[in-house]
Amino acid sequence: MDDSGGRDRPYISMRGIVKIYPDGTLALRGVDLDIYRGEILGLLGENGAGKTTLMKILSGFLRPTRGLIYIDGKEVRFRDPSDAINRGIYMVHQHFSLVPSFTVLENLCLVHGRGFLTTLKGLDLDIVREKAKKLLSVLGLDVPLDIPVENLPVGVRQRAEILKALFIGANVLILDEPTSLLTPYEAKELFRFIKELAQKGAAVIFITHRIREVIEVTDRVVVLRRGLVAGEMITRSATPEKLSELMVGGEAIVRREIATSERNILAGKPILSVRGLVVLDDLGRPVVKGVDLDLFQGEILGIAGVEGNGQSELVEAITGLRSVLKGSVILNGVDITNKTPSYIYKHGLIHIPSDRDRLALALDMKIYENVLIGLQRNPAYHHNIIPRIINWDTVKKAARELIKRFSITAESLDAKARALSGGNRQRLVIARELSKGAKVVIASNPTRGLDIASTSYVRTILRELRDRGAGVLLVSSDLDEILELSDRIAVIYDGKILGILSREEAKRVDIGLMMGGVQAS
Amino acid sequence: MAETLSYSMPLALTGLTFAIGIRTGLFNIGSEGQVYMGALAAVAIGSASLSYAGHAHIALTLIGSALIGMLWALIPALLKVYRGVHEVLSTIMLNWTAYYITMYISSQVLVDPARPEKTLSVLESSRFSTIVPGTTLTGGIFISIATALAYYFLISRSVLGYEISLLGSGIDVARYAGVNVRKIMIYSFLLGGIASGIAGGLLVIARPPTYAIYGTLGNIWGYGFEGIGVALIGRNNPIGIILASILYGGIKNGGRFMEYYAGIDSDLVKAINGLIVISLSMPELFRILGRLVRR
Repeated sequence: MDDSGGRDRPYISMRGIVKIYPDGTLALRGVDLDIYRGEILGLLGENGAGKTTLMKILSGFLRPTRGLIYIDGKEVRFRDPSDAINRGIYMVHQHFSLVPSFTVLENLCLVHGRGFLTTLKGLDLDIVREKAKKLLSVLGLDVPLDIPVENLPVGVRQRAEILKALFIGANVLILDEPTSLLTPYEAKELFRFIKELAQKGAAVIFITHRIREVIEVTDRVVVLRRGLVAGEMITRSATPEKLSELMVGGEAIVRREIATSERNILAGKPILSVRGLVVLDDLGRPVVKGVDLDLFQGEILGIAGVEGNGQSELVEAITGLRSVLKGSVILNGVDITNKTPSYIYKHGLIHIPSDRDRLALALDMKIYENVLIGLQRNPAYHHNIIPRIINWDTVKKAARELIKRFSITAESLDAKARALSGGNRQRLVIARELSKGAKVVIASNPTRGLDIASTSYVRTILRELRDRGAGVLLVSSDLDEILELSDRIAVIYDGKILGILSREEAKRVDIGLMMGGVQAS
Repeated sequence: MAETLSYSMPLALTGLTFAIGIRTGLFNIGSEGQVYMGALAAVAIGSASLSYAGHAHIALTLIGSALIGMLWALIPALLKVYRGVHEVLSTIMLNWTAYYITMYISSQVLVDPARPEKTLSVLESSRFSTIVPGTTLTGGIFISIATALAYYFLISRSVLGYEISLLGSGIDVARYAGVNVRKIMIYSFLLGGIASGIAGGLLVIARPPTYAIYGTLGNIWGYGFEGIGVALIGRNNPIGIILASILYGGIKNGGRFMEYYAGIDSDLVKAINGLIVISLSMPELFRILGRLVRR
């Protein structure tokens, strides 16, 4: 491949891509992107910047609302992923698309020569095996062909997925956060391999939020921010600081007067204290790798970080929903490590979870029944004489009060919670949790998916809580939210707290660097 | 009408078993086996000479049936909670286990020496007498209705019932609410076992004229599975289940005469009964399936 020729004329051009999801989310607002042969292109951005959406459009999984795609200068339209595959474009998702109980070879058979003739002739396993072996030796790749995919380590599974892509004949390979599941060694292997692939003339697009990886592996980097291209650089001339700035935006922070003096806060004893916490994820891998945190009364401690760096497991471990492998959690002097949620609630903690529809609400139950979640053992809601019998009149009365006080728009108390809009659902959750009167609030992405009015309402409530002396642990992947609300900011990356900054010393760029895994100087 | 009610008596109870499982998010189809075991216990206790106990003999018999039904339900409960065995598998297997145990004991141990095609009949002191002369309707119907009403109260008013419903609407929200998921799952199985155990007991001590189990199990067979239909028609609500069981009992009772009076093949009657049940249970079935798919 002639390098300079490739530079001159892009292989693929995307022009003016706009994507509006059916729920009204504006994911992309007019993106232009060029992709050259023989190049590793980094696509960098925070959660929700539009990286994955853009690539799903290129690989045929989504259709753009507006905008055009050109291959070799000719306009193309993809109806579904197989159209894109026929053009040699293949996307490796974060969740792999191999059949777990099939061997690698059988998975390859699934995509081998689809069509009427193959169906008639039947499959010749040996042909597939020969072809796969040849491909492996050309690529210098090692993938066992006869082991069921579910028995392979994640890194090998990913290689098998890439093998499948090349087997189909892909020459544009899109990798969505490929290192998120890999060990550092496996990641090194992957980098070596994709560099080789690019040298052979393929285009590799590398979606990531990790600045270090972009610098290590890519040739060119495009930074997306809020559905727009924030900048584009040749990687050689890029610095982590510059990329961080592009990723999280400029220095425009509105500094708000701080209601409580920070010195006062730190003088007291922490109301929630986490020491050396190690937590495993569902697959048994450590994702929280020794976290120390202190939360004081009257402060909002923000935990910033790109999603998937262990914050959700950290929250679950603190709130009793996930077991703690090592370390301790002390709430108000009481050891709550590995205690049940009801024990933890009893000692003054409330949890506003990120996934409110699944965790905090029973959508198929009535609104007033949802008001009782977590309070069902509270005698205040029970019958006066008969124990453990719920007095629904009391519950309904409480529900009516909460609806009024928190201006929740609901048709009737008897309607199902599913009938509420997203904003009203979150108001209901917050109303209920606050009625428990706790001293420590764990709020996880509390404004995600909410409209502007509900967002500012929720933020006001969190500030009020802080001003009344509660300790608020705010976990959010929205950096603006963290900067707006927090008194102190901790940045989590790869299961560890990289640093805790006070609001005065918090610079956007530094936080962005830490979120990308680069320790600020 | 009296005969219809007589048929509906066990069906309301087996319907409860399935319904409480669904409300917990479990597909508990172990009712059939629990009925067998309950019936077996009723024969064993009812035929024992405890006549000095007077009317307490009836109570004793039913308690025995309820307990053994509960114990039989404890097995799939423990397997589910501690070993992750899916309840559909374990309950189907236990249904057959119960079937053969009951078959064996009915024909070998508790067999009536005078009439080897059936077990010993329970003694007078542990029989419900008929309340409408000339029919098989006995006071057992009150036990059945009272149990359904008790379950209704339990589900709609108690903390336990609330936690059962929470678990049924999602394991994550239940854990978030501080529900002890294992405990509630076990309770759900046990409550189901009690209802079906009582159903089995009533089939023996409240269904004249035999007051025994036939060696073929013909007089206690099938109620557990028909309870699923009853629960679906009754929308898993105990009150609805009482009404659905009467409807179902009527269909079952009426169907018996179709061959005799109208010359309709009894298999066709069963097929049509099946169609009626399927049509009526569609809305609830879709709701349950929809919930499973959404997960």
